[in-house]
Amino acid sequence: MTSTVAKPTAGLPARVAVRAAISVLLAVSGVIHAYLYIDGGYRVIPTVGPGFLWQASIFCTLAVLILFGAPEWFSWAGAALSAGALIAFALSRTVGLFGFTERGWNPSPYAALSVLAEALTVVLVAAVVLWRRRSASVPTPG
Amino acid sequence: MTADTDPRAMTRRQLLRHTAWFGSAVALSVVGGEVISHIAGSPEPTPAASRPTLRFAQISDSHIGFNGAANPNVADTFAQAINQVNNLGYTPDFVIHTGDLTHLGTPEQFDHVKQMLTGLNTPHIFTVPGEHDATDDAGQKYRQVFGAGTRDDGWYSFDVGGVHVIGLVNTLHLQKLGHLGTDQLDFVQKDVAPLSSDTPIIVFSHIPMFAMYPDWGWGTDDAARALSYLRRFWSVTCLNGHVHQLFSKTDGNVTFYSGTTTAYPLPHPGDGPAPKPINLPAGKLKDALGIREVSYTKGQQALALKEQALQ
Repeated sequence: MTSTVAKPTAGLPARVAVRAAISVLLAVSGVIHAYLYIDGGYRVIPTVGPGFLWQASIFCTLAVLILFGAPEWFSWAGAALSAGALIAFALSRTVGLFGFTERGWNPSPYAALSVLAEALTVVLVAAVVLWRRRSASVPTPG
Repeated sequence: MTADTDPRAMTRRQLLRHTAWFGSAVALSVVGGEVISHIAGSPEPTPAASRPTLRFAQISDSHIGFNGAANPNVADTFAQAINQVNNLGYTPDFVIHTGDLTHLGTPEQFDHVKQMLTGLNTPHIFTVPGEHDATDDAGQKYRQVFGAGTRDDGWYSFDVGGVHVIGLVNTLHLQKLGHLGTDQLDFVQKDVAPLSSDTPIIVFSHIPMFAMYPDWGWGTDDAARALSYLRRFWSVTCLNGHVHQLFSKTDGNVTFYSGTTTAYPLPHPGDGPAPKPINLPAGKLKDALGIREVSYTKGQQALALKEQALQ
């Protein structure tokens, strides 16, 4: 394995758990967008429809590869794309996204679940990065 | 294992490994996208299938007769919209005007807008009435001018290019929200009953068929029943005017598109106490006005929309 999300000094179970958690969160967001693209009617929306398609395929890909030991920057990419998805969601509820606007948490419950998964991805990856930095600054005994 | 290498520098081996991971990600993403597209049943159009089987233009809310600071010459901007439709590079199969053709619904204003519409280079022009077209007579003057071939209060349907089109009237019996009424709902139910579920449906109305902003009357109180008759269809596209701005929303198989105006912009939902005309700075008005192109290609489920600001 080239590198991991958690610091190498972290135990294997912790590293596996973090990887699995990020993978599941990305998969949840990806699968929801795939469902909304296939059955939710979103594919007919100009620009936004293809956006859902690419979001779904990229997030599911990241989920699989992270689970199978992809380099750490895959998790960073997942967090960055999740942040982008959250921004796109916010735009669609405010000033519009490529002319597309929706209100509230529709479609329910998918919008809320997707936002939750993406927010947790950002938080989890950020927490891992912070934990690593703090750990690196603490001198190890011996 | 990376533990044996210098953590500050990437070895050639590591570079190759990262490149392999990245390549795998790109390949899997592309394959995943293809798989999802295939499941959704929307394959990439082939060159032979890419030519639309139906192309039409939507114009809306011309408000001929309006005389306010927001647009001192609505006839001029409407003429520009007509000219823009005539210069799309093709002859649209039809043009739909989604209501508020006039501002006050006077005979003179109806004559004026009718005369202007004859300048459209298209074989068919369809309309639905806005509430401004039926201010004092429940739409009688509107129907005298534009009601030929319609039923009852002015609703109708027709088939073109493999698409079933329904023109609805939700402005004649409105209280706060738009209203279709039992007779029109029965018409919709019977009208679509013989159609197969893979028939694309297009619905025209003036007031949105979804709750865009009920506080300002931007919705239709009995639209849910009409839409219930359309749920079984694979693709339903509802086009409306009234709100003078672009807006879209999807609800299962139904996609709603509010169109802009050729007259003057209105505020976004909730911006201010009421939807009053917005006075834009000089030179900015045309950016808020426009026309819409809609095309349908046989074999594809979705309609393609293209918005054009007034030029």
